[in-house]
Amino acid sequence: MTFVVTDNCIKCKYMDCVEVCPVDCFYEGENMLVIHPDECIDCGVCEPECPADAISADTEPGLESWVRLNAEYAAVWPNITIKREPPADAKAFDGVANKLGQYFSANPGQGD
Amino acid sequence: MTVAADKLDPVSEDGIRRLVDAFYVKVRADPALAPIFARAIRSDWQPHLTKMYAFWSSVMLTTGRYKGNPVAKHLIVPDIKPELFERWLALFDATCREQFDNATSEAFRIKAERIAESLKLALFYRPERPWPPEPAP
Repeated sequence: MTFVVTDNCIKCKYMDCVEVCPVDCFYEGENMLVIHPDECIDCGVCEPECPADAISADTEPGLESWVRLNAEYAAVWPNITIKREPPADAKAFDGVANKLGQYFSANPGQGD
Repeated sequence: MTVAADKLDPVSEDGIRRLVDAFYVKVRADPALAPIFARAIRSDWQPHLTKMYAFWSSVMLTTGRYKGNPVAKHLIVPDIKPELFERWLALFDATCREQFDNATSEAFRIKAERIAESLKLALFYRPERPWPPEPAP
């Protein structure tokens, strides 16, 4: 079991989660974060910290594609443990539907 | 039955320190767990206790005080077995109930069980074997 980052992180990327994660298991893409499933210890600390409500337990139904996406990109994106400024237009994208299809970037972020 | 007033405190750094200290007194007296920890820690327990204060502070108070890789740390422990996690959880829950009120103990128990399950999966899960693992005969 693990937690996964889902659609509403895309283009919001508030990064509050990385400060509280005890095991530094967040990885940064250009416009979203993912959780490394083999490093997450399921403590759940990050879930309520996300201002965009984008983090869920992988036991919730319908998240299979997000579980795969988190695992795939956690293996190639850089680790992030220190929060930076979120994107200037984060608020405007908070709550926009289906951001994966429209905005997701597979490019790595800058990491720590 | 009334709960002692000092058990009704919300979780605090002090409460976590008392919990961790009392828990590891039990661990060091436990026939199953003591030898495992003794091999991993050898002589000075304080660095481990300090790390555990930070860990539970991060988990229960969201302070971000602990940063580490518990999966890697557990992978190198000789003779670690799934059933030792059950023993660990039982002692931890008993200690929580001595230190805290029911709601706080429950909050610790739920976190501890989830973390233990994820550590067990990381350490022992193999796609070709049944899960949960059966105790060794």
